[in-house]
Amino acid sequence: MNIIIRDLRFTYPTGLEALRGISLTIAPGEQVAIVGQNGAGKTTLVKHLNGLLQPTQGSVHIGDWDTRQHPVSKLAVRVGYVFQNPDEQLFSQNVGMEVAFGPKNLGYPAEKVDALVKDALALTELSEKTETNPYDLSSTWRKMVALASIISMDTDIVILDEPTTGQDAVNVRRIAHVIAALRERGKTVITITHDIDFCAENFERVIAMSQGQILLDGPANEVLGQEEILATTYVDPPQLTRLGLRLGLKETVRNQEEFLTAIRK
Amino acid sequence: MHERLSFYVHRDSPLHRLNPLTKLTMVFAFILLSFGSPWYWTPHILIVLVILPLSFIGRVQREYLLTAARLIFPAAGFLFLMQSLFQPIGQTVWFRWWVLEVTHEAVAFAFVNAARIIVMVSSFTLLLLTTHPSELMSDLTRRGLPSQFAYVIISTLQIIPQMQAKAQTIIAAQRSRGLDTQSSFVKRVGALVPLVGPLVFGSLVEVEERAIAIEARGFTSSHAKTSLREIPDSRFDQILRGALIVSVLLAFVSRLWLS
Repeated sequence: MNIIIRDLRFTYPTGLEALRGISLTIAPGEQVAIVGQNGAGKTTLVKHLNGLLQPTQGSVHIGDWDTRQHPVSKLAVRVGYVFQNPDEQLFSQNVGMEVAFGPKNLGYPAEKVDALVKDALALTELSEKTETNPYDLSSTWRKMVALASIISMDTDIVILDEPTTGQDAVNVRRIAHVIAALRERGKTVITITHDIDFCAENFERVIAMSQGQILLDGPANEVLGQEEILATTYVDPPQLTRLGLRLGLKETVRNQEEFLTAIRK
Repeated sequence: MHERLSFYVHRDSPLHRLNPLTKLTMVFAFILLSFGSPWYWTPHILIVLVILPLSFIGRVQREYLLTAARLIFPAAGFLFLMQSLFQPIGQTVWFRWWVLEVTHEAVAFAFVNAARIIVMVSSFTLLLLTTHPSELMSDLTRRGLPSQFAYVIISTLQIIPQMQAKAQTIIAAQRSRGLDTQSSFVKRVGALVPLVGPLVFGSLVEVEERAIAIEARGFTSSHAKTSLREIPDSRFDQILRGALIVSVLLAFVSRLWLS
């Protein structure tokens, strides 16, 4: 499902102009990371994708739907949005019920809900914790529950708002694994992140934002190589990328393999 | 983004510069005067000649008049209507309708009561518009108010907008999961559980974190604490407070004298 954003502008009621003319197309199945300094407008932008915010000017289309013409609860069929803080959405007595909440809201029949829940729990390695109360889990696992509760909605587009903040290495790998699985299923994944290594390792396309505008948009290697431009929005490329630049390698590298291949040439 | 600590409007005005205690004294003096003065028109005069000009002096006239138009006057008007219609006093009947009897005395009584309410709410509104709550509380703690008491007031003022912001986020999160909060009444009631649960739980966690944070900074320490903020208390403030107290005393004495 295509996402088409045309000259999107958004001003908060306080008068703060958070988005100043964003035009963007995201093709089905793309994995996109959005980076940029705090206050660049990243969250404001993705909140437009499921209608939580309405454009002040311009338009946002999800497939053939204009977000202005559909309520958030309808758009939830197409766009799943995992909020940053799991504690702001978990309320059920156990993990299974929590994860079933979304698909039930979407009106799926009981068997389909069961299948979706099972699948989402397996993907997030929560299967053994189905009967646990989410608040008896550690905050790492609560984050996974929040993630599972969106995956179970089986939307074509999944938005993750800072999935790796406060997570240990093991859980970051778990999240990366989930994103890879979603990619295989042909889902579009859009992630806001400050974790530049996570961004470099898991996303093919990177968008850098600054002051409500898109600074850079392109393949990860291209964007992450623009050290000076990224610096204006307080983003440091991954250490290996910077090292590669310093060594004068021809290609921009993102990970160890790329680095080693480039240096052996 | 939509977080707002209080009604406080940050501006520079003579009213803002007054010592918080002076403003608090003023509020209570106005209320006592409007209830205690023997003269019928006192509250009305206070509204027109004191409170209204004060809102201009404090440069908060726009905010004050908005609050007055939206809240204070409708509430006082309602009170006036109810008391005029249902107050069973007086002989001078103006008109009768069904079981209702409107007398001159009831209307006069309602008119002064409505004005008193306006004085009461307006003077508090002016206080809140021109005084930062933490400034009021640190001034009062400096004068001997227990800091626990100040904490309760301040944290309540802070928690309300924080809870509002939190509730907004929770609503957004649940709507993103397909929760319908906008259609039928039944659906809305059903939608309450997923909203209230995280809100209550989150707030409890926050209260605990806040308690730990302030205790880490020696909140319950019995040593005398100094304050970073110096709140000026000028000669003018002291004279004004004295004058307000005297005027209240005069009002009560003259009331006793006349009765």
